[in-house]
Order: sequence, then C-alpha cells, then structure tokens
Amino acid sequence: MLEIVLILIVPLLGGLIYGFERIVRARMQGRVGPPLLQPFYDTLKLMDKALFIVHPYHVILGFLHFLTLWIVLAFIILGENLLYIIFLHLFSSLLLVLAGFSVRSIFSHLGANRELLAMVAYEPILILMAVGFYLSTGSFDISVIRENPSALASLFPLFLAFVLIIPIKLKKSPFDATEAHQEIVGGVEIEFSGIFFEFLYMAKWLEYIFVYALLILFAGDNLYLASALSLVIFILINAIDNATARVKMRHLLIITLTVGLSLCVLNLLLLAY
Amino acid sequence: MQSIIALMSLPLFFALLVFFSSGRVRTVLTIAFVSILSLVSLNIFISETQNIEMNLTHLWHILFIALDSALLLYFLYQGLKNSHKWVTLFAAIQIVLYGLLFTLSPQLKSSDILVDDLSMVMYMIINVVGGSIIIYSLEYIKSEGFSRLKENSFIALLFLFLAVMNFIVSTNNIEIFFMLFEMTTLFSFLLIRYRGDEVAQTNALRALWMNQIGGVAILGALLFSILHYNTLYFDVLIANMDENYLLPLALLALAAFVKGASIPFETWLLGAMVAPTPVSAILHSATMVKIAPFLILKLSAAMNDFVALSVAIFGSFVFFTASLLALSKDYFKEILGLSTIALLALMMTLASLGSEEARTAAIILIVFHAISKALLFMSAGILEKSFHLKYVNDIDGLINHSPLVTFYILIGFASLTLPPFGAFLGKFIAFMEVARKIEHEPLYILVLLFMTLGSVLLTLLYFKVLSRLFAKEGLAKSSRKKEIPKLFTWSASSLVVLLGLSIVVAYQLNLLSLLELLIPTLLLFSLVLLFSTVPFKNAQRVKEYHCGERDILKASMFYFDISKRYKNVLLYISISIIIVLIVGVL
Repeated sequence: MLEIVLILIVPLLGGLIYGFERIVRARMQGRVGPPLLQPFYDTLKLMDKALFIVHPYHVILGFLHFLTLWIVLAFIILGENLLYIIFLHLFSSLLLVLAGFSVRSIFSHLGANRELLAMVAYEPILILMAVGFYLSTGSFDISVIRENPSALASLFPLFLAFVLIIPIKLKKSPFDATEAHQEIVGGVEIEFSGIFFEFLYMAKWLEYIFVYALLILFAGDNLYLASALSLVIFILINAIDNATARVKMRHLLIITLTVGLSLCVLNLLLLAY
Repeated sequence: MQSIIALMSLPLFFALLVFFSSGRVRTVLTIAFVSILSLVSLNIFISETQNIEMNLTHLWHILFIALDSALLLYFLYQGLKNSHKWVTLFAAIQIVLYGLLFTLSPQLKSSDILVDDLSMVMYMIINVVGGSIIIYSLEYIKSEGFSRLKENSFIALLFLFLAVMNFIVSTNNIEIFFMLFEMTTLFSFLLIRYRGDEVAQTNALRALWMNQIGGVAILGALLFSILHYNTLYFDVLIANMDENYLLPLALLALAAFVKGASIPFETWLLGAMVAPTPVSAILHSATMVKIAPFLILKLSAAMNDFVALSVAIFGSFVFFTASLLALSKDYFKEILGLSTIALLALMMTLASLGSEEARTAAIILIVFHAISKALLFMSAGILEKSFHLKYVNDIDGLINHSPLVTFYILIGFASLTLPPFGAFLGKFIAFMEVARKIEHEPLYILVLLFMTLGSVLLTLLYFKVLSRLFAKEGLAKSSRKKEIPKLFTWSASSLVVLLGLSIVVAYQLNLLSLLELLIPTLLLFSLVLLFSTVPFKNAQRVKEYHCGERDILKASMFYFDISKRYKNVLLYISISIIIVLIVGVL
C-alpha cells in the first residue's frame, strides 16, 4: 500500500526537491531564491498556455519519456532487478533522444547527440555499479540490496564513480553540456512548449528521484546513513555546480571513462579477491 | 526422422525446380517452397522432444569424399587462375592435410547425424528467416537487370545454401562437418562474386582465402583428434576430452572465429557487401556466420577454464572493437556488418560461459539477432532499390517519405538494444552470468568491462543512425510517399511479427517477470498506436525555432574515428589472444 502511494506521489516529491534545490543554490550565490513551491506554480502556468506543436510524433515521444521514467521509479520502489531498471532507464533516455532527432532543428539535434554521448559516459558506470552490488550482496534485486547492511565501505570506489556521474544526470555544471542553455538553447527541450514542456520538466524532477534512489542503495538498510548520504551529496553537487565552469562534451567523456571506469574496475577487483 | 531428411534434401529439389521456372510461376513456387520448409522446421521444433541419431551408408561417405576433393581442387583452380597466392596456398595445405586423413583410420564410432535441441532451433532460423529472405530476393533480383538464367541461379543458390546449412547443424561427423563448412565457403564465394565486376571478384577471393583458414583449422583439429582421441565424431571427442590435450578444441574455436568474421578476420564479411543485398541478409542473419556461435555452443561442454576464459575474453574484446570501429562508418550495410560481427562475438562469449542460463541466452541471441538483422538488411535493400540511398548521411528525413521503412529500421535497432525483445534478454542475461563468473575468476572483470563498453557503443551507433532517418518535417508538404514493392514489405513485415513473438518466448523462459516484460511492450505498443492515430488535432502547428537565422543549419550525423595506429593496436591485441589460446593448450 505504502509503495503504491509512494509511486503516485513520486513526481510531486521530485518537484519539492527541485524547488528546494533552487533555494539552496540561490543561497549559495547570496540570493533569496524562489519559493519552495515555484516548480508547481510553473506547472500551473504551463498548463494554461496555448497548444503549439511542431508535429505530433515529437510531443508523443516527449510524453512517453516522462511516462517511462515514472515506471522506472515505480520499479525501484517495488524493489525489482537493478540491472533491468538501468536498461529501462536507458529506454526512457532513448525516447528523449528520438524526440530530439524527430524535429528539424539543429539545436534539438545537437542536444540529442550530446544526450547520446552523455549516455556513453554514465551507462557503463551504472552497469558496473549494479555488478558491484551483486558481488557484495549476492543479488541484483533492489529489495535484497535494501535489506542488507550498508555496502558503502566495500563499494567506496564505485560510490565515488557514481557521484562523478550525478552532475551529468542532473544537468549540473561542470557536466551540463547536454542542455547548455547559452550555446544550444536547451538542446532537446527547445521545441517543446506549454503542457508538453511540462512533461519534460516533470521528467527532470523524476531524474532527481532516480539519482537519489540509486544513491541510497549504498546505505543498505541504514536509514540514517541514507539521509546523511543524500544530504551531503545534495550539498556537494550544488556547491560544485556553483563553483565550476562547464566542460566540453569531449572532456566529459574522457573524465568519466578514465577516472570513473578505473574506479569501477578497481572496486570490482577488490571485491573479487 | 523423415522430416529431417526432408529439410536436407528438399531444398536441393526446390533449387532445381526454381532454376527451370520463370516469371510468376517462379514467385509462386518459391513462396510455396519456403512455406513448406518453414512448416517442416516448425513441426520438428514442436513435435520432436528427443535427440535423433542416424547413420549414413558407406556410399554417402564415398560421395562426400568425392565432393570434398572436387571442392578443394576447385579452390586450387580458382587460386591458380586468379594467381592469388593465399587462395592457392591454403587450398594446397588443405589438399595435403585432407590426403593425410586417409592414412588414418579412427576406431571409435558414433552416429553421423545427431539432431539435438540446438539443431532444431537452428532449423527454425535457417528455414523461416532464410526463407523470408529468399522471398524478398525474388523482388530484389528482378531490378538488377541480369539475364533470367542468372536470376534463377541466384535463387537456386540461396536454396542450396539452406540445404547445406540444414545439414551442417545436424552432423556429428567432423569430416562431414568439414565438407559442409567448405560448401558454405564455396557458396559465399559464388554469391559475393555474383555481380561479376572487379571489386566483387577481389572481395570474393578474399572471402575464399580467409574462410579456408577455418578449413585448415578444422582439418588440423580432425587430425589431432584422430591421433589422440581415435575418433572423428563430435560427441565422442567432447565426452572424452582430456584436460591436457585440448588442441582440437582450440583449432575448432579458431575455425569458429574465422566463420564468425571476428576481428582480425572481419574483412571477408565486410567485403561481402558488394554482392546484392539479399546475400548480405542471408549471410549475416540466417546462415554462414551463425556457424560460429553454433560451433562454440557445441564445444562449450568440453572446454576447461583456460579455453573458456580465452574465448570469453576474445569474444568480448571483438564485441567492443567492432562496435567502436562502426562509429566511423557511413555506409549503411557496413554499419550493419560491423554490428553483426560485434553481436556474433557476444554470442561466442555467452556460449563459452558454460552455464545453462548462458546457453539459453546465447540461443535466444542467435535467434533474435537473425530476425533483427534480416529485417535491417531488407530495409537496406529497400533503401537502395526504392530510394537509391546507400549512405546514412544521405538518408535525410526518410520518415517523410516512408514511415514504414523508418519503422522497420527503428524496430530493428530497438530490438537489438531495448526490453522486451529477445536480443535484449540475451544481453541482459550475459551481464548477470559474467557477474556470476567474476566471483570465481576475477579475470572475467575484463570480459564484463568490454561487454559494458561494447553494448553502450552499439546503442550509440544505432541511435545516431536514427538521427538522420527520424528528422520529420513539421508542416506537412504535399505527399511524397514512395510506393514500395509488395514482396519487400510482406517479407519485412513477417519478420516484425516474428520479433513480436519474441516477447512470448521471453515470457515462457521465466527469466523476467510478467510485469517486466509487459510494461515495455505496452509502452512500445502505445507509441505505435499514438503515432498512427495522430492526436493533437487542435494544437497549432509551428515551425522550428532557428534563433532568428535566415539560413537553416542542418546537423549531420557525428562520427568517431580512431587513428590507424590505435586500430593496429586493437588488431594485435585480438591476434595475440588467439595466439595465447593456441599456445596455451599446447
């Protein structure tokens, strides 16, 4: 029962995190920032806009991207197979990429291309992370991983690798080239408007939950550790976002594939011996 | 029993009939023959539950020896005629080794024909998928402008190919296996050479000499097997495998690498693209290259840890390398070709892992890769014939002209990467099985790493290709839809239906829960449904935003290439893994 309620309200939860994050970021920059519920006010405003579309395929793909992501979160809450969830998440990302490719706009295409390249950067680390969890807990099932004691100590290098790719998923500096507002006008998002943009906007909230839901797997059954981890990483990611400049796509790939993958392989070696 | 003999002999008869028919009769006959073969293979798959064993009479053996000698002499003749030193050399080596074979007489006998569950699955692929390609090629070959005799010989050759393939997956006798292996080499040589121009000739000869390396390897395996194990039968060899004498096993694995066009042998398969597209379709999906994972699967029971690990590392490395090399390509068929090489290598990795799940996953991957690749090559053929397109970067906005072909390509690629399709399932189990292996042998981390990178790069490859096809024009201009010949769409659509069946098969295997299969299926279904109903009629259509620029910029597909030096490094690595394998068993 609790699970079903959680699944239903998960986008709202994401919206709250997003709103809270905007406040934290503003405070770091010495601003007051928007109210906590600003994302929901935005939603109401977007729903009121006239319907403009480039063509139906585009908006359908955008909507399905959101829907699939929601299902991914539902599977995480239900405690399904982690590896499967990673691939279903890939499915949702690819729907967004296809949406980007489906319009004849150079910005949208550049954004979708970068989205694909970003996938090359984070996907291997996610897969190796799943294998790491398997080696330390003996199962790919999230429900089992959550019942076991925290594996943070034995999976620490993998944890670092995962933290390395969080900015990519959350479109945070220094790894936010995928939607880089100043150069490619938001990338994939550019041709969405009104209610259709709303779905993309909510998909972004869901990505927050996705990232933090995977993050707390490192805490196992320890709820205090889970909250502490989320809080520390939350502040860390925002501090880094405020303090760094965007790197090019090429460097993003080189950094994640060298540093991130080395950490993963090192961890797997430690686990295997 | 009778139906298995039928599968091996009927195509020969069909080839003969098709050869002497013409026009509409030829079309009707071919469709009827393909249906018969498909039904027979389906019937075997459903009704036969036990292994079937059979022996061939002495007369057949003599006939096979005669055939084989003629084949080797023909290869030698081709080598001398074209003064091609490698073809000549390998043909000569094979003739010597084949002659040596007759000085020995192994004692341990078994049955010549042994049909197990794996063979029955292979029958389905060969006859159903291969058959649909033959139907497709009826239409394709008409537009090539060759004489009727040459057209007919093309269709007849494809039927003969099916017969040989049906036979090769049923045989238990390595000597007969060698003969059939050489037959597939001959057919690929003839088919690649089909267009008769200079490039076709060069590439056909390359395919010939490279595949003969496989022949030499099998003959070597055969000789050592007779000398040490006193047998020329697969089952006896596998049952008596001695940990200290694995040379026959390693040599057979080498033959599989050659047939599977694994790097460093990839050039023969890529060169096969000069042939008419149905040839690529049938080589890549239902026949020829599938011998590679088939052979490894057959041998996996006899592998010790060292051989299994070497094959797994080699396979995963080729999986990664072929995916990487494909990122710089623009020729659609070449992209598909490299992806075949990559996925075949993944199948070999899976086959070498040895567990029951891995074996199932390898078979699933063999089946559904065949369907997806056949569909993709058919699409490539339609692009060539109906749209005169060969290079991906030219396929700008195919979706405006033919949503159907775009759909075929999209489904083809998606079925190789995403849930709920069979090929995804194979890949998914591969990760789990390798993870399980790491617990006992840390070196499998290498396999896992290559597999992870390879699968991500393949996804990148497939979806970057879609970037060109998928760019739809917002404001619909007057209809510029192209009419595509019926036989093309029929055969391609039947493959899409087969892909749909994969979901049912996946469910029956109990590897994923019903929910895990149902959700992506429903998502795909709703995607297609929403696309075809075109909702949002009341929404206003707008043009794309171009930042106020007058000239509209177009993004082209991006490429990624590595320098020649790194390519050589990759080549040397894969060669050295093979050398380690061979030296390691000595």
